[in-house]
Amino acid sequence: MLLVMIVSLVFLNTVFELTRVTAQVSSNLILDHVDELRFITKDSSLAEDIGESTDDGTRCDVDDSLLHLLSKGGIPKTIDELRALEIQHHKVAKAADSCTVGVKIGAAKGCGVIVTKSGYVLTAAHVAMRPGMKAELFLSDGRVVNAKALGMNRSVDAGLMKIDEGQNNGEPWPHAALGSSKPLVPGMWCIATGHPGGFNDQRGSVTRVGRILAVRNLAIVTDCALIGGDSGGPLFNLAGELIAVHSRIGNDVADNLHVPINHYAESWERMQRGESWGYLPGFKPVLGVRGSPSSEKAVIEVVRTGSPADNAGLKEGDIVEEFGDKLITNFQSLQEAVADTMPGERVRLLINRNGRTRVIVVEIGRAGES
Amino acid sequence: MKSLFIQLNQNGEVTMFRAKFALKVLVCLGVVMVGQLRADERRDHPEVLDLFRPLGIQIQDSVVQVLCGGSPVALGTVVAADGYVMTKRSELTSDPIRVRFSDGRLFPARVAAVQRRNDLALIRVDADIIFKPLTFDTHSPEIATFLLSVGRAGRTIGLGVVGVRERSIKHQGRLGVLLEDDAKGRAIVQLVIPESGAAIAGISPGDRIVAINGEEERSRDAVINRLKGMYPGESVRLTILRPNELSDFDSIDVNAQIRDIGMLQESPSDTKVNGPRNMRLSGFERVIQHDTVLNPEECGGPVLDSQGRAIGINIARAGRVVSYLLPSSLILPEMLQMLEEARANLE
Repeated sequence: MLLVMIVSLVFLNTVFELTRVTAQVSSNLILDHVDELRFITKDSSLAEDIGESTDDGTRCDVDDSLLHLLSKGGIPKTIDELRALEIQHHKVAKAADSCTVGVKIGAAKGCGVIVTKSGYVLTAAHVAMRPGMKAELFLSDGRVVNAKALGMNRSVDAGLMKIDEGQNNGEPWPHAALGSSKPLVPGMWCIATGHPGGFNDQRGSVTRVGRILAVRNLAIVTDCALIGGDSGGPLFNLAGELIAVHSRIGNDVADNLHVPINHYAESWERMQRGESWGYLPGFKPVLGVRGSPSSEKAVIEVVRTGSPADNAGLKEGDIVEEFGDKLITNFQSLQEAVADTMPGERVRLLINRNGRTRVIVVEIGRAGES
Repeated sequence: MKSLFIQLNQNGEVTMFRAKFALKVLVCLGVVMVGQLRADERRDHPEVLDLFRPLGIQIQDSVVQVLCGGSPVALGTVVAADGYVMTKRSELTSDPIRVRFSDGRLFPARVAAVQRRNDLALIRVDADIIFKPLTFDTHSPEIATFLLSVGRAGRTIGLGVVGVRERSIKHQGRLGVLLEDDAKGRAIVQLVIPESGAAIAGISPGDRIVAINGEEERSRDAVINRLKGMYPGESVRLTILRPNELSDFDSIDVNAQIRDIGMLQESPSDTKVNGPRNMRLSGFERVIQHDTVLNPEECGGPVLDSQGRAIGINIARAGRVVSYLLPSSLILPEMLQMLEEARANLE
């Protein structure tokens, strides 16, 4: 009787390295991990949480004849109504282009959407990676600007970045108008932009139009076809308001999942403070080692057979001194550093083995695998 | 359901049973409806397609299905009243070609002209019927404009929107080898990329490529230069000198397919989400990218906008989010040139 949906999910950032992020998992989004869901209890508006006037941004006037499609979704009654809908899509697509940015962090490529005049940028948590990461943003007008990852709520895949000050001659950034994911229902028309395959200056952003197929707390599903590189890009409603951010896909071309915008409102203050927390069901990062929490150093006591640590050649007795760019002082700091990664990410470890220093590269795994 | 409820009011015992049964039925229906709700709310819902259907029907006699050796390989667009049909060249095989019209009739056809640079073929249909050529419209559609891909008999094969303005798509065809010059200056294979055309053809490190399609190539640069002109999906005949146990060479001829480098480099998970694609998915002078979900054998047919204007012909399914159409402004001059060539050959 239960509607079981097994979705094979793939994150949408592309990593142009020999070893790519091929994060793929069978996870049951509807039934499992109910404890992970965070219900929206307050009537939160991102615009209020930001505490900054976001004025109109991408907002587009909607003709009276289209208001029912905007608020309830559905199918145009006549070809003329469909053409009116199409003209609305034209307007939103045009407005969406300037606030849709390509994001490059390390070797990974994804997207983001500017949401304030001051340059706050929403993205997916797995695109922003870790607080403090430096990012390059590729704007539709050809400019490349610097930004920094602030915080991320990984339990819903929401991430926040900020464009560094002083890069726009004091002018406001082009930005999206903020909508709400609360009134969303299946059948609504939506417009997605992004940079599938990564930013490409010969091409620019790619527009897709689809409809909302399902609304869940953790994600909304649409038939706006997405692929690697689209992660973090914006999804708009007919009024040109931002309603969600692209996150992950299943194998079927109609399995495209987006983070509802209200999660950003919920997490805004913590993300703005630079906090990162949680993990998406099925995406918990693991290294595969055990150690003593009370130890003065991060001594590896057990390496699980077949684990990422084992595959990378980590041995019992090794002392981890650095994990990526983080200094490791004890086992707890190692645990925290692993929690701040994504499955599939390759991390450089500096270890001490029998008094000699070695470098080992580990590909972070996913809890429940091997 | 109605009869169930009427019975509910008649007999207590049966009521309970029926009620439980009815509840089960309702729950089942509910689940089914949830399932359908999801499918139903897609942008290509039958009622959405119904709105577009009259546009496809208007041009039903101008679209054909193209078969090679009995298998459908492409769609075709009727472009001239004297029996010419435009289709996607690289999907044609050496098997006999037949085309199926809207009324289901099949007629033999043969290739009359080809244009490699945009992967077009003009085929001539051998039939004493009235051909209704499509009228192309060079109007350039805005981003997010609805596009209707039309199949044989005016059938809708997909609905999508314009995703990117017109641009050229460079081709990235690769044989899949890393070459150096050997001591005698011949092109020697250093490395073979797995799953490339070279790997499938059994080429291995140490092989010398000395001729391509029967023409001698004397160095690495010459071989590379020659291969550069090949589009993904095209096949080349390579003459290879392969070292044998007698410290000598065997001369072997192999056929290898050129493949797009993007396909060679992608991960298995990318391959899965991209789905079936055309081998020739790059190397076009000007395309409009759209998000219509097409099968690879559905290229060659016309694409209409919501006004019913034929704005181009589908030329490739290139990935999960990418289909390409050649705009009418490119098709028209190519068509005239190919028609001229084909008719001149007839005389």
